[in-house]
Formats: sequence, C-alpha cells, structure tokens
Amino acid sequence: MSTAAVERTPEQRLEERTVRLFTQHQQEVWQRVDRLFAGLMLTQWLFAIALALFVSPYSWEGRARELHLHVYMAVLLGGVLSAFPISLVCLRPGTALTRHVVAISQMLWSALLIHLTGGRIETHFHIFGSLAFLAFYRDWPVLVSASGVVVVDHVLRGMFWPESIYGADTMQGWRFLEHAFWVGTMDLLLIYSCSRGLWEMRQMAARQAAAELASEGEHEKSLALDQALQGLRAAQEQAIRVEKLAAVGQLAASVGHELRNPLAAVRNAHTYLAKRLAKPEQAVGDARVPQLLGLMDRELGNCTRIISDLLDFARERPLMLQPCPLRPLVEEAIGVVPPRESVRVLNQVPEQLPVPMLDREQFRQVLINLVQNAVEAIPAERVGQVVVRAEEGGEGSLSLRVVDDGEGIPANVLPHIFEPLFTTKARGTGLGLAIVASRVQRHGGSLNVLSQSGQGSEFIIQLPGVAARAA
Amino acid sequence: MSSARARWVLAVTGLLWVGAVAGGMTVLARYAYTAGPLSASPARWPGDSALRPTPGHFLLVMLAHPLCPCTRASLTELQEVMARAGSRVDAHVLFLRPERAAAAWEQGPLWQRAASIPGVTVSKDEGGVEARRFGATTSGHVLLFDAGGQLRFSGGITDSRGHEGNNAGRAAVEALLAREEARAQSPVYGCALEDPRPLLAGGARP
Repeated sequence: MSTAAVERTPEQRLEERTVRLFTQHQQEVWQRVDRLFAGLMLTQWLFAIALALFVSPYSWEGRARELHLHVYMAVLLGGVLSAFPISLVCLRPGTALTRHVVAISQMLWSALLIHLTGGRIETHFHIFGSLAFLAFYRDWPVLVSASGVVVVDHVLRGMFWPESIYGADTMQGWRFLEHAFWVGTMDLLLIYSCSRGLWEMRQMAARQAAAELASEGEHEKSLALDQALQGLRAAQEQAIRVEKLAAVGQLAASVGHELRNPLAAVRNAHTYLAKRLAKPEQAVGDARVPQLLGLMDRELGNCTRIISDLLDFARERPLMLQPCPLRPLVEEAIGVVPPRESVRVLNQVPEQLPVPMLDREQFRQVLINLVQNAVEAIPAERVGQVVVRAEEGGEGSLSLRVVDDGEGIPANVLPHIFEPLFTTKARGTGLGLAIVASRVQRHGGSLNVLSQSGQGSEFIIQLPGVAARAA
Repeated sequence: MSSARARWVLAVTGLLWVGAVAGGMTVLARYAYTAGPLSASPARWPGDSALRPTPGHFLLVMLAHPLCPCTRASLTELQEVMARAGSRVDAHVLFLRPERAAAAWEQGPLWQRAASIPGVTVSKDEGGVEARRFGATTSGHVLLFDAGGQLRFSGGITDSRGHEGNNAGRAAVEALLAREEARAQSPVYGCALEDPRPLLAGGARP
C-alpha cells in the first residue's frame, strides 16, 4: 500500500485556520457565559430566599402562624433549580447540554420569582431579561429551548388555571397569541442578533487567520534570510582566511627579502671578523673591526624592527582601554622619535580636552609612527616643522592631527599608503601605516590623510564620543 | 468513570431534576390556586352589623387578616375597584382582631395600605364577630350589597393567593357597580380568619 502526502492549498489552510479560530472563540464565549449564568443562578437563589422572607414570611390562620410555603419553595425549589445547571457548568462547561439546561432553568426561575412576588407585572420582565441574557451565548437554539418553557407554562396554565394568565376563568386564544407575539418578536430580534454576532465572529476569525498565515510566511522568509546570511558570513570568513593566508605568504616573502639584505651584511661582517679574530694581534689595530661591529649591530636592529612590525601586524591582542590624556601621550611619543636638528616637533594639544579611553601602548605606537613619518617626510636639506594638534568635535568626539610641511605624498601613491607591505622607503617594511590604520579602527575611530605635493601632509585621526570621556 | 456510565448518571440526574422541578412547581401552583373554604353569606344586609349603609349607595365590605401576605394583592385589587367606582360605593375593610391579641396587633402595613385607598373606611373586627356575621372565613373576602341591602357578590377579587392582576372576581364587582349583570360568587384566596381547630382539648394555637 502506498501513501502520498497531499499538499494543501493556501485557501484550504486559510479555511482550516478560520474554522479552528472560530470554534475556539465560540467555545470561549460559551464557557464565559456559562460562568456568568452560574453566578446568576446563585444570586437568584439568595435573592429568592431574601424575597420570600421579606414579602411572605408566614401564612396565618387567625392568631396562628407558620412559615410560608414560599420560604420553603425559595430554599428547596430554588436550590434544585440552580444546583443542576451550576453542576453542569462546573463539570461540562461549553457543551450544548449545559446551555439548554441553563436556558430552561433560567426561564423556570422567572416562573418562581413571579410566584414569590405575587405576580407583579414588573417581575414578568424577568422573562425578557433572561432571553436577552441567553442571547449572550450567540446560539439561537438556546432561545428556542427557553421560549419552549414559556410556551409549555402558558399551555398548561391555560388548560388548568386559565385565570392565572388571562384574568378570566376561560381560555382566551387571542390572549395567548398576544403573549406569543411579544415573546416571538423578542426571539426574532435576539436570533438576528445571534446570527449577526456569529457572522462577525467568523469575519474576525478569517482576518486573524489571514494575519497569522501572513505572519508565518514572513517568519519563514526571515528564517531563510537568516540562513542565507549565515552562509554569506561563513563564505566571508572563509574568504578572509584565504586572504590572510595569501597576505601571510606575501608577507613572508617580503620579510624574507627584507631580512636577507641585513643578514647578508651581518654574515659578511661576521666572516671578516672571524678571519681577523683568528689572529688577534692583527685584529687589534684593524680600524674596520669596530666599523663592522657597528654595522652588525645596526643591521641586527633592523632585523628586530622588521620582526616587531610583523608581529604587530599579525597579532591583534585585545584592547586594554583606560583613560589616556592626549597631551602627555603625544609628548611621550615625540620624545621617543629620534630628533633631527633641522626639524622642529611641536605639541599643540590643549590640556583641557575630554580624556579618551585608549589602549595606551597601542595608541602611543600610532603616534610614534605618525610623528616619525612626518619627520622623515621633510627633506634633509631644509628645515621643517611637525605639529600635533587636537580639538574636540561634536558629542564628545576628538580630532587629532599630525601636520608636516614636508614634500607631501604624490597623488598616485596616496590611495595605497594604508595597504600592508606598500612602501616608498628604501628600508621600510610597508607595515607602519597599515598598523596605524588598523589600530585606529579598532578604537572605533578613522584615519584620513590630506596631502598636497610640495606643501606637506596632514594625518587626521577621528575618535568617536564613545571612546572619550570628560576630563 | 466511563463515558457511557457518565451519560447514564447524567440522564438519571436530569430526569430527577425535571421531576423535582415539575413537582415543586405543581406544589406551588396548587397552593396558589387553592381557595379558602366556602361558607354561606347572608342574602341581605344583616341588621345587627355595626356598619351602617348609606342610602342609595352600594356597600362593599372586605374582611381581612392584618398579617396575611396574600391580602396585599386583595387590597391592590380593591384600589382598582375604588378607582373605577368612585362615589357609587361605600367601602369598609374590617381587619380581624382576635381575642387576647396584643395591643395594636391589627395595625400593621396592611392597615396603613387600606386606609390610604380613597373611599375606604378601615376598622377592626373584634373577635371576628363581623366576619362570622358575613360568613367570611378567608382573608380578602369581599361582599357587595346594593342600595336595597341585597347581596350581589360574595367572594375574592384575586385570581390566586397573593397574585395581582385581572381576575374574574374583580371584573364581577366592577360590572355590578356599573349596574351590569355579573357572576355573584368567586373563590377567595388568602389566609384563614379563624384559628385552626385544636387537635386536642386545650385551646387554639397561640
């Protein structure tokens, strides 16, 4: 035997959902009205007892009295009338049986109350009030059951006690029709009201079903989009990994190349010194020995710098943010940069600036790099000036500028200066500005450059308000 | 409990409920529509009565128990009668005052109610003498005598115990006062005017 899954159309799904919501709402209405009637039954019982005690507490025979039958009936018959529907409300809420028993009991309550109030015409309105209350069920057969009780009551009274209905001791058919007309009219109005109420409930269920299905569709689309985004993110991470591997490969080649020259110089110097030290007496007077030792020291220093730059670029240790006043930090960076007699370096950072939250060591390196580049940008044959300025921007942001009056950066070079391994220096690794840009970005800031050939350059660091706090 | 058993229990409970309710309603209806015992009333105005008829007027007498809750409806119907009959009738409501009754026993809300009806004179019936004279044993019993002292109506003017509303007794009284033909009798619904008969020797119940 084979089975096949039947895919439901959107219209079928909408219809099923509508029916389910409508049924659920109807059940809630029935149970809510059941509870209301349970409370009403209890209230009517207590009211009936109080009424009987107040209106007709005793019946009399001369001087003798006894408890009036109305008191017994209020307690016993009222209790029986209420007990069964209340039990059904508790045990079988929302069922058709409960509704019909409630309806019948409620109309019998009208009869009992009419008896207890001595047939007052006002109490007859209890019948119409009860019918209106029963219409809360929005279930017209309940009204039929209730009206049936009225009909049976009238027929029986008409047959056995016609005077109780017609005020005369003979049955008057037209009077019965008069009563039936008003009850029937009330029923018709309430049945129309019930039908209208059901129609509105169906409309509401249909709208809610449509909204839920639309929401489900949106949810499915959202899930698909999330999955696509996750795939994209994974692909992006993979691409970054590949790019990093390529960069590492390129870097390794560059570093190898950069290290080869100083190591070759060290090796040559070492070979020469080894030969000289084989005969120490000759080495003592040789002027090249100290010269070569100095060369070895310088070239090994270059190697160390290259490796440091490489490590700085490769490693991204977490930021350790702390409040760092800018002026002392700039002063410290200027102090580290080797001075040149022809170049004046000025710290014009104001004292009273918001104190930014920075990784002190990393940002000090940023400033050292920028100041050193600025100093080196000034030709050796003329004097020049490097100025470090800072100012407060909007919403607590800071703007730091390193300005030199050097040769400026050629327009064709400018777009590439922040790329790793790009350098125009004879002995540069091409990592300095890439490291600077990366660190500024990690602080949430941005690095820009303005340069004009022959007039100098200006490197601008923008730090956002989040990274700064008031002094 | 299995569902079949639960259905049986429910059906039996429902039947018992219907039976109890139907029984209760029947008891209530029988009580409401059981009239007081009939007794013979004088065909003419009894000359030994303390009441004096006005010549040319109908005379209406209602014998009432001052504490009977059913009599409230009788007084309401009497008010309707008086509103229609106007000055054609002299109406008296005699409230029973049994022997050895407490002071002002008869002067309760019903007395006040009767006294407030225009054209009605309220007085007490010491020891039920007038009630016995008029042959009334049930509270709310109305007797209507024409201008010639002839009894035209004897009975109640409610359709059941304590129930207000249109009824054959009141309709008959109104018709007779309008000098139309109508029934002469109607059942009386209300409390008994006389003490119950003692089951054993020793007197009436207190």
